Amino acid sequence: MEVDIPQDTPRETVRQRASRFGSRFLEGLIFLGPLMFFLIILYGMLIWTIYTSFSAWSGTRPNYEFAGIKWYNLMFGLDRFWVDVRNNLQWLVLGVVPTVVIALFVAYLLEIGSIRGSESYIRTLILYPVAMSFIVTGTIWSWLYQPDRGVFNTILRGIGLDSLTSGFTTNPSTATLWLIVIFIWQYLGFSVIILQSSFRTTELQEMIEAATVDGAGRLRILLEVIVPNIRSGILVLVSLLLISTLKVFDIVYIVTFGGPGYSTDVLAFFMFIATFQQHLVAMGAALGVVIFLMAFIVVIPYTIYALRKWFE
Amino acid sequence: MRSKNLTVNILVVLALLGLSIGYLLPIYVMLMTSLKTPAEITQRTYLIPSANLQFENYTTAFRLIFPSLANSTLISFAVTLMSLFVGGLGGYYLARTRSTFVRILFVLVGIALYLPYQVILIPLVQIMARTRLALTHFGLIASYLVLNVPLASVLMGTFFLSIPRELEDAAEVDGASKVQIFFRIVTPISLPAYASVAIIIFTQVWNEFLLALTLSTPLTTTIQVKLAEVKGSYVALYNLQMAAALIGVLIPLGFFLLLGKYFIRGILAGALKG
Repeated sequence: MEVDIPQDTPRETVRQRASRFGSRFLEGLIFLGPLMFFLIILYGMLIWTIYTSFSAWSGTRPNYEFAGIKWYNLMFGLDRFWVDVRNNLQWLVLGVVPTVVIALFVAYLLEIGSIRGSESYIRTLILYPVAMSFIVTGTIWSWLYQPDRGVFNTILRGIGLDSLTSGFTTNPSTATLWLIVIFIWQYLGFSVIILQSSFRTTELQEMIEAATVDGAGRLRILLEVIVPNIRSGILVLVSLLLISTLKVFDIVYIVTFGGPGYSTDVLAFFMFIATFQQHLVAMGAALGVVIFLMAFIVVIPYTIYALRKWFE
Repeated sequence: MRSKNLTVNILVVLALLGLSIGYLLPIYVMLMTSLKTPAEITQRTYLIPSANLQFENYTTAFRLIFPSLANSTLISFAVTLMSLFVGGLGGYYLARTRSTFVRILFVLVGIALYLPYQVILIPLVQIMARTRLALTHFGLIASYLVLNVPLASVLMGTFFLSIPRELEDAAEVDGASKVQIFFRIVTPISLPAYASVAIIIFTQVWNEFLLALTLSTPLTTTIQVKLAEVKGSYVALYNLQMAAALIGVLIPLGFFLLLGKYFIRGILAGALKG
């Protein structure tokens, strides 16, 4: 890189060393400067939110007077907050576990099935929702779920299964579950292709061959050979799904708007309502901080894995 | 490991049927509903096409959402182009340099990648309101840029990691600087990677709702905000809702159907699978 340094110079002079350092620095600045600029803004806003959560700000005008943990106390005392936490936990468990299990079976079937064309057909079929927004998906599913004229109930009545008709998202005790179904529908294809790509290492294929020769059943191969060997693929998928369920806002907004009552409310939705409708900005910030902390915990194992993989 | 086993293939057929119903029914019903009259919708014949296809529904819906389509197109394109440029530069350095500083930066980028938008929403609204950027498209463009640059960096970096270094080493011996190597050698052979990342970022920005909802003004309303508005104000007009939603997914869905290979590569890069 330092073409101007003569080949026969035994040692760099201080000046040359300084200029080399200078050009390195300049190089780093060109490549990383813009990225760092945006990172500084991003983390600056994160700190700003944390600070706001300890302020006295309620109302439309900013008020950064220090109020300690006043709004945290208030938040933890709200019934709605705990309903949200429970709903968020439901999302975390029921949005992730079934998705991963179903995706695992679908991905495996795609690998071992021998019907021509079935693989590319199913991949396209279940993957198209990744191109759609939750707003669009939510609009369609609201229509499917609509209790008296909606598609599901009409079809069920049409084939004589009246007993299976349901209020879907209008029934407070099961509404969140029906919202989660939409999420699973949307993320299944995404999960399948991530798992499928982790099946396709030569090592794993050889192990499967060996197990097949030994006469192991298909299901045993899946559970005892494949699953333990795609742990990193599963880690990545589970982390991505956990984060997505934690941030869930759009589905709730468009399908139920948190209702009936606040039975389908989640932290992300409450944050929005508290901040922009009730103007309890400090508490909105506190809710944001809670969401961030949960996301942070979820992301740690993934970040460690990514760091190792990146710098290996 | 293909199997000729009968049970396996019966299971495949069952999966094929189940998934076909689960994934074709919603889109089929959507399409059928979008072509009906309001009167026909109340007749509850969802699976039967309309006797008199109402293509005007699409003209009406299009007229309704056209300004927001234009806004979203402008915003998504601008964010995609700029975050590709910044992300390409940053990702390349992250992929090619091994130092403590770069490691720390990588962790910061990694966390930023999955930062819930809620945690920066309040400051963002403050900045946008105070600088009056919220009144123009720049407000949303700048906001999305801040959030998508880390993603673009990691995605591009994943692709750069998979490029063999020989070419770059040879150029370095010939006295090319890192900047020259990046623009003259790495960028031209990475165009497919740029395409993949472009599709992912574009789709993400196009589909984003929370920020758009809080930051967009009547002049900058994005397509998702408009679709939510249509759903809210034409409650019983499912035909119009469906027509609008279908127009709204046309661009990302077109990317997926026509450039599916790039789309999938982008998703896998996001899962750090190269």
